[in-house]
This record gives sequence, C-alpha cells and structure tokens, in this order.
Amino acid sequence: MRERARGFQYPVVEGPEIDIAHAAFANYVLPEVEVLARVALSITRNSADAEDLVQETLLNAFRAIDRFDGRYPRAWLLTILRNTEAKRHRRRRPQLLHDADQAEREAQVEPSLDSEAPDAIVIGKEFDTVVGECLSMIPEDHRAVVELVDIDGLSYAEAAEALGVPVGTIMSRLHRARARMRQRLTAAGLAPKRSM
Amino acid sequence: MSIFRQATSRMRCLKTMRVLQEYLDGHLDEVSSRRVALHLEECRRCGLEASVYSEIKAALRRKERPVDPDTLDRLRRFGEALAVGNATPGEIRENGV
Repeated sequence: MRERARGFQYPVVEGPEIDIAHAAFANYVLPEVEVLARVALSITRNSADAEDLVQETLLNAFRAIDRFDGRYPRAWLLTILRNTEAKRHRRRRPQLLHDADQAEREAQVEPSLDSEAPDAIVIGKEFDTVVGECLSMIPEDHRAVVELVDIDGLSYAEAAEALGVPVGTIMSRLHRARARMRQRLTAAGLAPKRSM
Repeated sequence: MSIFRQATSRMRCLKTMRVLQEYLDGHLDEVSSRRVALHLEECRRCGLEASVYSEIKAALRRKERPVDPDTLDRLRRFGEALAVGNATPGEIRENGV
C-alpha cells in the first residue's frame, strides 16, 4: 500500500491505466536498453557518464510513456536521450558552445603521411590501426556519426535523432569521415589511389 | 571504345560514386541497389573503390565495444523496477523519483 507523502495527493488512477503505462514501458523501452547504453557511450565517451545518461533517459521515458503513441520507439527514445544529454551538458559546461564550423575546418586538414599507394587493398592489423587512428583524429561531431552508424549499427534516421541533426548532415559527415580514412589508408600504402 | 561509350561509362561511374556510401549502408532503394551492384561487377575501378569502403566499414565494425555486462545489468534492473513499480508516469512527472 502506498503511503501518502506530506502535502502530496496521489492522483486517482485506475488499475488498468497503470497497467497500460507500465506494459508500454516494458514493451517499448526495456528492449532498447542495450542500444541506449551503446549510443550513450558513443556520445559521452565515458562509461560512468553513459550509465547516468541512460538512467536519466529511462526515467524521462517513463515520465512520458503515457503520451507516447507507440510508433518508432527507438527514435522516440533516442530523442529523449539527446535532450537529456543536452540538459546534462548545459548543467556541466554552460560556457562551451558547439562550433560546427571549427569541426568542418578540422575535417579538411589533409593527412601528412606519404607512402607509395598499392594497386590493391592491404587488409590486416595495420589497416585496422590506421582506421582507428583516423577515427580518433577526426572532429568529435564526425566521430560520433561514424560510431553511431558504423560501430553501433544505427540507421541514418536513428543517428539523426540521437544527435539532433538532419539526415543529410549525418550522410555528409559520414561520407567525409570515411573519405578521410580512405585518404589516410592510401597515404599509408594500404589502399590504392582513387582513379577518378 | 567509342567516345560515346566512354562518356556513358564515365557517367555510370560518377552516378555510382554519388550513391556508393548509401548503397554500402543499405540505404538505397532496391532498383538503384541492383543497378549499382551490376556496375560494381562490371567496372574494376568502381568495384575496387567499393571494396576499400567495405573494408573500412568492416574495420570499424570490429571496433564494436561491448557494453560492460554489470552496467547493462544495473540499467536493465533500473528499467524493470520502473516497469513493475507502483509509481505512475504522472506521479513521477510531478514529484520526481
């Protein structure tokens, strides 16, 4: 039996309505916990922050579950996660502003490696190392997109929901980041030069 | 090869490169995907370009970080506690946890 808190009147909610909200949360939200955890890790880059972010997202999703229409639960949850992170970010670092232009300028920096380009792809440990190094060097905005789509397996639309940007931006950042990796691989002698 | 055929072939290459990333990500419609797949089989240069990007995607997939099982377990239990708890969404909206 619930206790009545001081100064707080529990709303009168019939049993079946409670069940609908709880069942909706179990059906739509619980199966997405792992995806949320992956995305949170890609966005925060810190496991403790990611766990806090997912907890807060679950709580916010529960608060809103009775107003959710049941369509595209993952996209709905990713929007909640993004808004939750934005709020957390404002609380933590209000002075930092997002500088997309700076990210774009950094993305344009050419790689400095200069090896002989081969005629075929050289797959192996070194290939993975160059891709990993390049991933760590690209601007954060671009890296987040690559991680969400190529590592976490989100669709363009889901990544757009998670980052709060249009699908076209996801595509252009993704293409630019991969082109940069491709350039680095060529410079490292692990991929042929582009012939067109 | 005639100039006309060369120009047509180059046009096909340009069109393919324009949609290559979407093709590799599985975001292209069925008809366009078939057209791209056919061109990649026929054109060595485009086929090689597609292979490079496929390998980049594969290398990135290998970087998949499994979520720490204990963290996942805690998050699932937190979610389940909300799903079976007595509190309603309205109550949590008004009063917090």
